[in-house]
Amino acid sequence: MATLLRGVLRPLYAFRGGPGPPAGVPFRAVSHGTGLLYPEHIPTSVLQKVLLAAGSAGMALYDPYRHDMVAVLGETTGRRTLKVLRDQMKRDPEGAQILQERPRISLSTLDMGKLRSLPEGSFGRAYLHFLDVNVASGRGMTRVSPDTRAPTRFVDDEELAYVIQRYREIHDMLHALLGMPTNILGEIVVKWFEAVQTGLPMCVLSALFGPIRLSAQSLQLLISELIPWAVENGRRAPCVLNVYYERRWEQPLQALRQELGITEPPLRVEGLV
Amino acid sequence: MAAPRSWALWSFCGCGWSRAVSGCRLPGLRSSSPRGPLGARLLSQEKEATETHFGFETVSEEEKGGKVYQVFESVAKKYDVMNDMMSLGIHRVWKDLLLWKMRPFPGTQLLDVAGGTGDIAFRFLNYVQAQHQRKQKRQLRAQQNLSWEEIARKYQNEEDSLGGSHVMVCDINKEMLKIGKQKARAQGYKAGLAWILGDAEELPFDDNKFDVYTIAFGIRNVTHIDQALQEAHRVLKPGGRFLCLEFSQVNNPLLSRLYDVYSFQVIPVLGEVIAGDWKSYQYLVESIRQFPSQEEFKEMIEDAGFQKVTYENLTSGIVAIHSGFKLYLR
Repeated sequence: MATLLRGVLRPLYAFRGGPGPPAGVPFRAVSHGTGLLYPEHIPTSVLQKVLLAAGSAGMALYDPYRHDMVAVLGETTGRRTLKVLRDQMKRDPEGAQILQERPRISLSTLDMGKLRSLPEGSFGRAYLHFLDVNVASGRGMTRVSPDTRAPTRFVDDEELAYVIQRYREIHDMLHALLGMPTNILGEIVVKWFEAVQTGLPMCVLSALFGPIRLSAQSLQLLISELIPWAVENGRRAPCVLNVYYERRWEQPLQALRQELGITEPPLRVEGLV
Repeated sequence: MAAPRSWALWSFCGCGWSRAVSGCRLPGLRSSSPRGPLGARLLSQEKEATETHFGFETVSEEEKGGKVYQVFESVAKKYDVMNDMMSLGIHRVWKDLLLWKMRPFPGTQLLDVAGGTGDIAFRFLNYVQAQHQRKQKRQLRAQQNLSWEEIARKYQNEEDSLGGSHVMVCDINKEMLKIGKQKARAQGYKAGLAWILGDAEELPFDDNKFDVYTIAFGIRNVTHIDQALQEAHRVLKPGGRFLCLEFSQVNNPLLSRLYDVYSFQVIPVLGEVIAGDWKSYQYLVESIRQFPSQEEFKEMIEDAGFQKVTYENLTSGIVAIHSGFKLYLR
């Protein structure tokens, strides 16, 4: 704790001597204009990151609808893992291309008309169907749209910020690939898959603590069938961040699943909550 | 008739504050324009491209009002919760102390500016109601020879439990007023309360109307503080009192260091976790640093025409209550 405080107070000492702005100013002075690494960047000290991680974890458990808290938890705890992921992406040819071109998924970049014109059974159609079902309906399922992925703010490296943004944006693709809906059970299954795939602390924590709010029946199904399936697939599949999804809309869903080694889910999750 | 001395002092301190902001210009306040023929009202007709501070940022004066509006629009729903979290509930004590300093009696007309969520207004109503009830009891006890009919009549005639007191809550932000009205409904405050949308720099009231003018944690968000003070002077009756509860400079160096760390490290995090809004709370702690010190603010109040201006530090100067009286008609 003392070292953390020292880390915080060190820049504060630089401002001693003379009237003017108080201690905590350096971070804010940097956060205007030129000090930002990317548009939405909010520079934070070590102490702030620790507090954010703890606070967001607590709040996410307390109020599961605070998706922004899960995102913040990921950003503040994932530094080391993001570096590993980024290096992995660099080694893979498709991943390196993604890092270079930095594609973004949002309603403005998605060509809905083109997706709709694709043949049935293609990955693009499956993704579109997933969006339609989960945006249009709302019967207890969380509304999603490619735009509900909040921009990264607390990562202090521009490339890593993109990596975590990409991870968030392909989350929906994973739902389509794994065939999981966006209710709590489906989300937990996808989180287990992601935890094994990426190793991000936030995924691991969500995977471990998410099931707390489930009913006993769902919990039993989760543990006996869904988690082993998710873990097995997560292990077998190559890194999902290395797949350039935007170039594979026409690819048949089954073929993409086969390429990634993803099998059919052991049971349909729709009816279960 | 702004005293040039205090403007110079303010601009000097404004320069000091802006050192951290790269590419800063002098973010001092505009000097008061000369009074027009329309009485004491200021006419801000000069459209200079002057700049001011928004936290530690430098923005144009036109922008600041809009940006502050957005901040309060987004924090309105969680305003009270966040106040409790950030001050660990101490803000309630501060507001109570403001009321005790005010000591309103039944019949007082209060104007609470920037009073959005109604904290001061509700406390005022509670206070005058308690005072009025005490007065009634004293009166009844003094009249020992009343018959039962007379006593019953006295109780029945009692429609106004506030004894003629009234509080007008004025705020520039619709969201904050909405929250305040909801709270009033939920807590059962109806009589003696009115909600008005208005700008502290240009109040929608006649001259010489109110007994007390309060502004709690609002004046540092006003773009032209001197104009707000002059408006306060205008709407008060002669003999009326100006009371301002605001964050100020901490006088204890150790506490000041801790307070800075707490403000800049913890509060934005709290804002993000509880309200999902980092930037508004960053603005909040920065705007506190930009506000003039106790002495400077006292001089600004004197410049607006108030007499007998004093201030009282609470919690070692984290918060200060400034008080002034309008004794002469200008």
